[in-house]
Amino acid sequence: MIEIKFVLNNKPCALNVEANERLLDVLRNRLGLMGTKEGCGEGECGACTVIIDGKTVNSCLVLAPQVDGCQITTIEGVGNRQSPHPVQKAFVQVGAVQCGFCTPGMVLSAKNLLDKNPQPNDKEIGVAMSGNLCRCTGYDKILRAVKLAAEEGKG
Amino acid sequence: MNYFQPQTVGQAVNIAQTFEATFLAGGTDLVLHMQTGKIHPNAIIDLGKISELKEIKETDGYLEIGSMATFAELGQSELVFQKALALWLACQTMGSPQIRNQATLGGNLGNCSPAADGLPPLLALGAEVRLISREGDEVVSLETLLSRTPLLSQGTLIREFRIPLKGLQSGFAKLGRRKALAIARLSVAIAIELEDNRVGKVRVALGAVGKRAYLSEILARELSDQELNEVWIEKGIEGVQRVVREALGARASAPYKREAVSGVFREALGTFIPEGGTKV
Repeated sequence: MIEIKFVLNNKPCALNVEANERLLDVLRNRLGLMGTKEGCGEGECGACTVIIDGKTVNSCLVLAPQVDGCQITTIEGVGNRQSPHPVQKAFVQVGAVQCGFCTPGMVLSAKNLLDKNPQPNDKEIGVAMSGNLCRCTGYDKILRAVKLAAEEGKG
Repeated sequence: MNYFQPQTVGQAVNIAQTFEATFLAGGTDLVLHMQTGKIHPNAIIDLGKISELKEIKETDGYLEIGSMATFAELGQSELVFQKALALWLACQTMGSPQIRNQATLGGNLGNCSPAADGLPPLLALGAEVRLISREGDEVVSLETLLSRTPLLSQGTLIREFRIPLKGLQSGFAKLGRRKALAIARLSVAIAIELEDNRVGKVRVALGAVGKRAYLSEILARELSDQELNEVWIEKGIEGVQRVVREALGARASAPYKREAVSGVFREALGTFIPEGGTKV
């Protein structure tokens, strides 16, 4: 076992992990953070997206020991029912959620984009969201929600 | 399984001597291969904390790129945009934002998929690779390295890529099944010495056509030292189709790829030469 320390959703966290354990499994099975979803498990769908040190990554392709010393944000650290993040509010307002399985990853990709670029154009939104697949329906409402969140952020 | 997280290249190479270990770069292929049981490493040496491997800089006529520079870092680098456009372009379309944040150029070479997006641009630009192992340092051209089997001997670390800055103009295009998150079905990188409308040396590299990306000697011979015009472009298209036809033989994808390559070749040229071949 390897001892790792990291900051998870702004709280310090220390635990022992196996060398071959994926970050995704540590988050879900050991820490009970079930908002991070496993879709394809091979880095294609983005359902397991988390933010590590300001960058979106697929947590199914990260070994837990790699995040020693890192800052991690999962969907649980973004907002909650009482105080949703502007991106979450916009997703609700536009109706950008169907089954919801892809939504945590989508919200994290959108949040990370707006953190770095508060006024993205359509192309920048498209690129930022291109690593997150939704298999229910189209992407129109999702892209509209990100745009709305950016517009709301202006005020 | 042992897991090491060295802070320096020296430490990494020392650990690799003692244990039969696998180097971990970005992990986008390695972690997946571990998960599916394709590989079972005895030990892992995680290179992620070695800051000297992440540098992108210009030194003594070379663009030096540390093996742990990610595709996202390369794709956001003004230096790479200015000096190695083909590589910069390849970094825009490789994988997805998440994959580009994790995947590294060194890992792209280490895994050496036939469709590796980073390799055709590096080949076209004449990149060298600095390797380090218990035997010491070795600088080898990427073209030579890609002819070796196995690619790297046990315990050999890819330290950096060195692109000679000879004023080559370069471009890249790839064909995938969709715009994002697509594995290249075909990719073309071109680097050209260009003075006024005169083409000097030409280097064309192809990806996803053979087991590994490669430079076409035939195209270099047929296209170098000529006038840049539409006739030259047509000659290039005819040539690249012939090269792909010969490389793929009777493979199922051959009829598709030998047609498709003409469009990909034209698109790669179009990334740095205006339509019709007249230089701006």
